[in-house]
Formats: sequence, C-alpha cells, structure tokens
Amino acid sequence: MAGLGKEYKAGEVIFQQGDAGNCMFVIQKGEVEALVDSDGRQLRLRSMGRNEFFGEMALFEKEVRTATIRAIRPTRVLTIDKKNFLGGVHEDPSLSFRILQMMSHRIRDLTDRLARYEEIG
Amino acid sequence: MIKANSSALKDGSRIAVIGAGPSGSMFSFFFLNMAELIGLQADVDLYEPRQFCHRGPSGCNHCGGIVSESLVQRLATEGINLPNSIVQRGIESYTLHMDVGDVEIATPLSEKRIAAIYRGHGPRESSPEAADSFDGFLQELAQEKGATLIRRLVTGIKRDDEKMTVHCADQTSADYDLVVVASGVNSRLLDIFESDMPSFRQPDRTKTFICEFHLGAELINKTFGPSMHVFLLDIPRLEFAALIPKGEYVTLCLLGDDIDEALMTRFFESPEVRNCFPENMIPPHVCHCYPRINIQPSRPIYDDRLVMIGDSGSTRLFKDGIGAAYRTSKAAAKTVVFHGVDADSFKQHYAPLCRRIDHDNLVGKFVFNVAGLVQKARFARRGILRMTRSEQQRSKGPRRMSGVLWDLFSGSASYTNVFLRTLHPAYFGSLIWNLVAGNLRGGTGTKDHEREGEGSHARH
Amino acid sequence: MPGTEPSFRSLAQQAEKQPPCQAHCANSGDVRGWMGVIAQHEKNGLTRDQAFDEAWRKIARMNPLPATIARICPHPCEDSCIRSDKDGAVSINALERFLGDWALSRTLPLPSVIPRLYEDSIGVIGSGPASLSFAYQMARRGYGVTVYERGESIGGMLRRAIPEYRLPHDVLDAEVKRLLKVGITLVNNTDVGTTIGLEELRDRHDVVFLGVGAQATRRLGIPGEDGPGVTAGIDYLRERKRHSQTLGGQRVFVVGGGNTAIDAARSALRDGAQVTLLYRRSETEMPAIAAEVDDARAEGVEFRFLVSPTRIVRDGDKLTGIEIRPMRLGEPDAQGRRRPLPGNGQPQTLAADRVLIAVSQAPDWHGLEWILDDRNSLHADQDGRLDKGLWAGGDDRGAGIAGNAIAQGRLAAESAHAELRGTAAPRMQAHKKVVQRERVQHDHYTNCFRGERPRLPENQRLTNPDAEVDQTIGPEQAYREATRCMSCGLCFDCQQCFMYCNAAGFTRLADTGPGNYFILALEACEGCGKCVELCPCGYLELRDTEASLP
Repeated sequence: MAGLGKEYKAGEVIFQQGDAGNCMFVIQKGEVEALVDSDGRQLRLRSMGRNEFFGEMALFEKEVRTATIRAIRPTRVLTIDKKNFLGGVHEDPSLSFRILQMMSHRIRDLTDRLARYEEIG
Repeated sequence: MIKANSSALKDGSRIAVIGAGPSGSMFSFFFLNMAELIGLQADVDLYEPRQFCHRGPSGCNHCGGIVSESLVQRLATEGINLPNSIVQRGIESYTLHMDVGDVEIATPLSEKRIAAIYRGHGPRESSPEAADSFDGFLQELAQEKGATLIRRLVTGIKRDDEKMTVHCADQTSADYDLVVVASGVNSRLLDIFESDMPSFRQPDRTKTFICEFHLGAELINKTFGPSMHVFLLDIPRLEFAALIPKGEYVTLCLLGDDIDEALMTRFFESPEVRNCFPENMIPPHVCHCYPRINIQPSRPIYDDRLVMIGDSGSTRLFKDGIGAAYRTSKAAAKTVVFHGVDADSFKQHYAPLCRRIDHDNLVGKFVFNVAGLVQKARFARRGILRMTRSEQQRSKGPRRMSGVLWDLFSGSASYTNVFLRTLHPAYFGSLIWNLVAGNLRGGTGTKDHEREGEGSHARH
Repeated sequence: MPGTEPSFRSLAQQAEKQPPCQAHCANSGDVRGWMGVIAQHEKNGLTRDQAFDEAWRKIARMNPLPATIARICPHPCEDSCIRSDKDGAVSINALERFLGDWALSRTLPLPSVIPRLYEDSIGVIGSGPASLSFAYQMARRGYGVTVYERGESIGGMLRRAIPEYRLPHDVLDAEVKRLLKVGITLVNNTDVGTTIGLEELRDRHDVVFLGVGAQATRRLGIPGEDGPGVTAGIDYLRERKRHSQTLGGQRVFVVGGGNTAIDAARSALRDGAQVTLLYRRSETEMPAIAAEVDDARAEGVEFRFLVSPTRIVRDGDKLTGIEIRPMRLGEPDAQGRRRPLPGNGQPQTLAADRVLIAVSQAPDWHGLEWILDDRNSLHADQDGRLDKGLWAGGDDRGAGIAGNAIAQGRLAAESAHAELRGTAAPRMQAHKKVVQRERVQHDHYTNCFRGERPRLPENQRLTNPDAEVDQTIGPEQAYREATRCMSCGLCFDCQQCFMYCNAAGFTRLADTGPGNYFILALEACEGCGKCVELCPCGYLELRDTEASLP
C-alpha cells in the first residue's frame, strides 16, 4: 500500500537470463543476486543492495538479459523504463553520470576477476 | 562573447544555499556530486533554522504532497531513493467528482502511479512514527554528501564586487562566492530582498488552502481507497480541489485564486464533497494552513553570484512544484559546476530551462482557464464525464481524455504536452461526440446519478 | 464533532508569560529583563558596558544590595531555570554578583528621584536587609528617611552573622554607604524599646517600619544546656567578628541544619576546631544551601544525620560530652518536610569541648511586647502593615532568607507610599501565567554549557580563613552567561514568526527593546499555528476566540 515499485519475496526471480527486457531496475530495499548460467553451472556474479541498479544494459542495447536476477531477501524495486530514461538523458545528459560510473565500476570488477581466473586457469 | 573563466569556481569556493526545502537540498546534493566528479573542492553551507522532524506547520513546507511516479523514477536514477517510510500511499487512480456524476480514472500505464508524501513530519498531533518528512530526507541526503547544515535564520543578502554576504537574525554574517536562494514564497526573505535590491521583483503569489482530516487508516482505505479524489465544481476562483489519502489522514488541497474562508465554506457545503466522507459528514480538521504559491516568476532569476531556484525563481503553475524544484536545482548546479557563477553563465545555461517552464505555464494558464469554463458549463461537464466513463469501461483502445485528465491532475506531463494532445483529431472528435451524446436525455454513460445527497459507497 | 464547519477560530496572539526564575525569586526579580538588556544590547544600540550599567540599575530598583545578596542567596531562580533541562541552569547568581561588583567598581549611584519630594517623614527601626530595603524604596521615591540601629554598625544579620569568607565586610560597607547616600539619616547606638519608645517614634514620623530581625536563638531545652561551652551559633559568629577565636583542636559539635549552622561549622573549622555537625533529619531535608553543605564537607566538617542531642554531659561546670540518640523520618508535616521521630537504637555519648546551637531564631521583642498578639507573633497583612503608619518586615515576621527580607521591605514601602499618597498599592507584577516548561524549545538554542565559577581551591581555604571561597566572574564570562538566557515567555527577536508567517502578519516595530520587537496584526492571522509552533520561548500562543466572547 505504501511505497512505489514492485515487491519480491526472498527467492523470487525478477528476470531470467535470456528474457527480453527494456527497462532497468533500482533497488529500494532488500538484496538481490546476479546469477549466470554457463554450461549447466550457475555462477554467482555479485549481490546488490539498496540504491543499486541492475538491468541497465537493456536501456542501451536490444539484446536479451545477460543474467538472472533473484531476490535474496524481501526486496522492493522500482522500474525505470527505456523511454523515460532516454528521454530524460536527452533533456539532461548528466542523468547518465551515475550509470556510467556504476558500469565503469563493474567493468573494473570484472576485469580484476577475469585476470585472476586467467592466472588460475 | 567568450569569457575567460574567471567566474568559474575554484577549489576552496564557498556557496551558501538559503533554505533546505527540496530545491535547496537537491541543489546541494547535485552540486556536491558533480563537483566531486570533476575534482572541484567547494563548501556548501545550507541555511535552514526550521526542523522538518517537527510535526505541524512549523516543520512543513506546505503542499499537497504529490510526487508523480515518473519523478520518483527520475530521482531514483539520480541516486535519490525515497524510503518506504516517506511514501504514505501509492495512488493508483483518480476519482473525478462533478455534480453530473463521478468517474474513477485508473492509472493509464502501470508506471504512472503517484506517491503521496508528507513534506514535514506529518500533521500536528500525529504520532511520531506516522510519517517521515520528505524534505527532511532530502536535507539529510545533502548533508551526507557534505553540505553543512547551518541552523540560522537568514535575514539579508548583501553584495559587493568580490563576494556576497549572508546576514542572519542572530547578528552573525558570512561571505560566499555564490548565494543560491531557495527560500520559497512562504518566507519573507524575498520580500526583504526586494526592498534591498531595487531591480529585483519577487514572485507573484496566490493563496491556497491545505488541511488534514484524521480518519484512521482503516476508514480511509474503505472510503477513499488508493484513489485521489478530485473535484470540478462550479465555485468561482476554485481551480482545483483534491482529497489525498495518506496513512491515518486525508489531505485536502484547494488551489485557485486567493482561497478564502467563504470559498472554503462553499466547498465544504457541496454534496459532492460531503459524500466522499464517511456518513457524509466532514470532521473538523486537525491541521491547516494557507500556503502561498508562486504563479509568476521572480525577475531577474539570477545575477552575478546569485541564483534563485525552486519557488524562489520559476516553478510550474499549480502542480508538480517538486518536479520543478528538481529541474531548476539540477540545472543551476550544472551551470555552477561546469560554467560559472556570473550572470552570463546563468543566462546561457540556467535561464533557458526557466523560460521553458514559464512558457509552459502560459499554456497551463490557458488549460486551467478552459477547465474553468468546464466548471461553469454543465454541458461540458456531462460530455467529459461520458467520454471518460466510456474510456474506462473499455478494456482496450486509447484513453485520451483519461490520459489528459490524469496528466493534468498529477502534473506528470508538461501543459504543452497535455494541450497538444487535446488538439489531436481523435481526441477532439471523440469529445465533440461525447458533448452531444452526453447532453441527450439519459446520456452520461452508465447511470446518470445527478447528486441527490446520497452517500457514496466504498470506492473499491 | 461531526458535520460542523472546520473551525478557524484559534488565532495566534502575543502574550508575555512569567518565567520560573522570577516566579521563584523571593523578591520577584525580573531576571529575564536584565538578562535581556545584556544579551540583546547590540540590537538596541548599547555598548556592552552600557548594558551592564543598565542591567544593574534594573536590579537595583528592586534590590539595593545586589553584591551582598548574591553572595548569600540560595538562588531558587537557578533551581527553577528551564535551561537546566538542556545544558545547565543560567548562572543567574554569578551574574547578579558580577553586576553588583561592577556597579561598586564603577561607583554607580542607586537610582532615585530628587531627594525630599514629599514632606512626610519616615522612621525605620533596625538596619538589616528588610529595613535597608524599605528605607531605600522610600528614599528613592522622595521621602526623608531616618534609620535607628541598636548597635554601632549597620547591616543586621548581614554584618553580624555571616562570615567573611561568604560576605566580606568591605562589600557590605560599600553597598550600605552607597545606600545611605540616597538621603537616609542614620542614628546608631539607639535601641528602640529602651533608649527611645516606639510611641515616640510614631509621633515623630508619619510612617514607622519595624525591622528588628530575629536575634534570639531558640534553645534545645535539654539538661546541661546552661553553662559554659554551649553557645548559640549566631552569637559565636558575632563574637568571632569582634575578636578572632582560636579553637586549637577542640572538638566542636554544631547542632542544626540551616545556613547558620553551616556558617558556624565552617567558621569553627577555620578557627582550628575539629567540627561535627549534628542534624536530626537526613541530608536531603537540610534547609542549608546545598553548595555550602558540599563546601563544608570538602573543607573537613563531619556530618552526622538523623541524630538529636538529649543531654549535655558535664564534669562539674566543664563540658565534656554530648549525648545523642538516633532519629528516624516520619510522615511529612504541613510544609512537606518529614517529621523527625525518635528512632531505634541506643543513645551514644560523644566527647566534646564546645557545642554550638543553631536550630532556629526568634525575634527579640524586649520593650515592644505590646505589639504582639496572643500567639507572640506579629499580626501583619500581606504587605506587612500592622496599623496605620506602622509596617514590619524581615525575620521579625518569620525567619527566612535575606531575599525575603528585601522583598518584604520593598512591598511594605510600596504599600506605605500608596497609603501616604492616597492611591492603591500597585501590584508590581500583574499575575501573568507562568511559562510551561515543555513549551520552551531547547533545540532552538545553541548548546553552550554553564560556565564554571572561579573558586578558592579547598586546600587554600583553611590557611586563608577569611578569603572569599566563591569569586566573581569577569565581564566576558558574564556576557556569555547572559546570552544563555532563553528569555522564557518573552520575545527576544529570533524573527522566526516574522519570517515564516504565510500571511506576513508580523511587522517590526520602529522602537525596539527587549521583549518588544514585532506586532502581530490579528486580522491577518489565518490560524494555522505555525508561528506559535516556531516560537521557541513560548511568547506566542493560540487563543480560542470563542472563549473570549461574552
């Protein structure tokens, strides 16, 4: 009743790897994990909490979701649809700063992990 | 004219923001964010002697408390996520009440919902846990980003060539490189400023009315549901009236041309209003005020080392003040971080946004005038009712009138956008059709229940 | 209340309230007023020094001996100060003392009109605080006043009974001298009742004031009390001012729990004795000023509570011991103090060399017995009036603190003046409502802790027995303390009401002063209550206009 956005119970899936998608999500409360299916094995990429984004790639590309997002705890998320976001960026380009920052952070994180796996492997 | 960037802020610059309402706090937040991004070290002093944790008018910045979902999403993108405790209610529909009948308008898209909030800590005498302040939340964000809260009352702003000086009621003063005025139109600061600076003209204002009724969550759910109740009544000078359910209380908001007691009495006597309340009786209210709103921007909105944001500058007419505060504070922050603090920078990078808002308001004024005609002309009311009802009954198909009304009531689209949609031939054609059909005998759609003072039933 | 129109009838109004400091002051001193003069001096065009002068004058009009009184007052004003709920009471006492000393150092004259405006002649018997207060109030209004004092020096209990380390003689002398300059004639070594009769004085003067005090000590009434070694505490204090005493290691017991007992105990300590104070109730019931009790303990006085003497033990004439028995606390009496009752346990005899008795005082009416009623007390009205042309005040109307005496002298003078001039006695403070504590908003005022007062370190006190233990603060600290006053119940120009009224209903006055900055236009008030909620001192309030309609 109070609060906007959608509520998910612990364990509920928000979207599956391979789904079509055209919106991004911002976590208002709770925690989710990002899982990637690779050759039958499920790899846990990361977990995300309040104020963090996920699904942002759908805003810029027409590809399908690259990971499954599942709620770890009871979670509430707000959707940011593509049209709303891109329209906003057009009006005010600085709107994209945070997303760029976060994406840059993710790339850094993934680069680190890739480097480590390559060492091990 | 290419200026050497002597007006750009340097490391160690000091900025004073007067007022920690939404525009002041958001300016501080955005400025500090972006300054950090480009490696600019600057101090922001946020002046606010009031405390938003106080209940009642002393901790409140007096408004209906409507934040459209698109604004909520936009704020989330900016990193401003409204916690659950601040959102009193998610509004999912509007119920339009007129003498010719009622119609419930469901949200056109699932993403078009509204958040109903309290600007302060809730009505006087409400319990402390009942509400968290929207303004308080934004102020805390600004402080977390590094703004220094100064609990002093600013009573004067003076300028000289190299700096601005802010004077306070306790006889202290401090110097700054830039003063951002975000004190709004419910404080005398702009008044004082007007007498200190002859070239400055403060915003034109009109009086509105807001009050709170205590009914309890259960009763409110039963009677009002997740719906905002809007009234289009033939009462002169009343442009807009809404009852907004929030938690244990219902907020009443009356907008128009200098709302006064006579107008209010007429409003409370209208059967359309009485029928919304349990047992058709309006209880005494627990908290009320007559806030002023900005209906004409101040002039000028900026000068060297000085800029007016939010209600102190340009804001949207009647609706979406918080959205306008967001836009103006962001634009001002960008100007200051990336360009400079001189009049020219503001002219090039801040003023255009304000002009857009002002121009949109002209369209808005026109649209509200048309709505005023509708309020007076019964045949128009019948037509609109019929059109909206048939749209709401259809499961598919464009809901043009519903959409227009929705965006008008919630301020979630610009007035220009709304107006242009009314020029669409399909809209226009349908409207004409409904105006005719609605005024034929028995024609307002389903049941024609002209008001007879019978009670309205549970809304859902 | 169903179905009614919303009521907008609760308009805001400006309504001064009485602050607790004034309500609790024995003399109804306008503490907030003189604090405001200092704290708000810049707004009102005074330098800080001018503000100190003006603040002192405000005090002096009510109390001509502030330096003296501040040194001995138990300051109930501070105990009731609302700021104590926040970060410590305002140091009203220290500030009054500072102003008293300030005025002395700058030789400011006491406020008064041209002397001898009126022909009526005023006679005052006694020269203690009540008499001096009465004399000053009459003299400053323009009357010729004569003070008759039994002894050589004037000041009553102030001079005789209060030790130097609390009230130095030169402070008292300076204030008394200044007071006499207002046009008061002193006739000393004249005992009314023996040297000259009361009736004669009443013929000589149009108004006579009786301020004879309470010089006689009550006795314990126990066996062995008569004889050497047992002295009234008051008499001991008087004696040691005349001739310094050395008690070299003697075991001295002081009986009593008031300020005189503490004074006697601390004085005996300074004279070299081992001192034990015996009190029949517990420490919480002691009427003495708590800080003085702490000082006494810190200096080395031993305390024994819930004991009462039953017998003085003598070997022939010589005092060898004191027998005490345990007490317990019973139900509270009419004044709310718990009754001391005999307790369980055996009596105990303690070895002693001297016993000082300081249990209570009574007026010494010799020669004047005829004015007493059948219960041996003065029958005076609330202003102290006994008869046409005859008033009384001070300890002779009931022992109390010096502030009480000052108040009674002042009220008697106002009443006498009114009677002489044929007007109604002014009630100086109309009974305004007292500020409710919860109404004052602590979070408006910046935190600022109560300053420490300079004091003589404990280890220096016995070696400098006459040195003042408490010392006067300096002007910087004085100013800082004055700014801590929250101005409870009276406007101090925070300007919030003016700035935030949605209807712009407040206008700044052209001539401002403490308490007087804005005027609210009642017809502009929209009844939202914002200003009342914002007002940090409780000056603004909502009023129910329905209630005030006839």
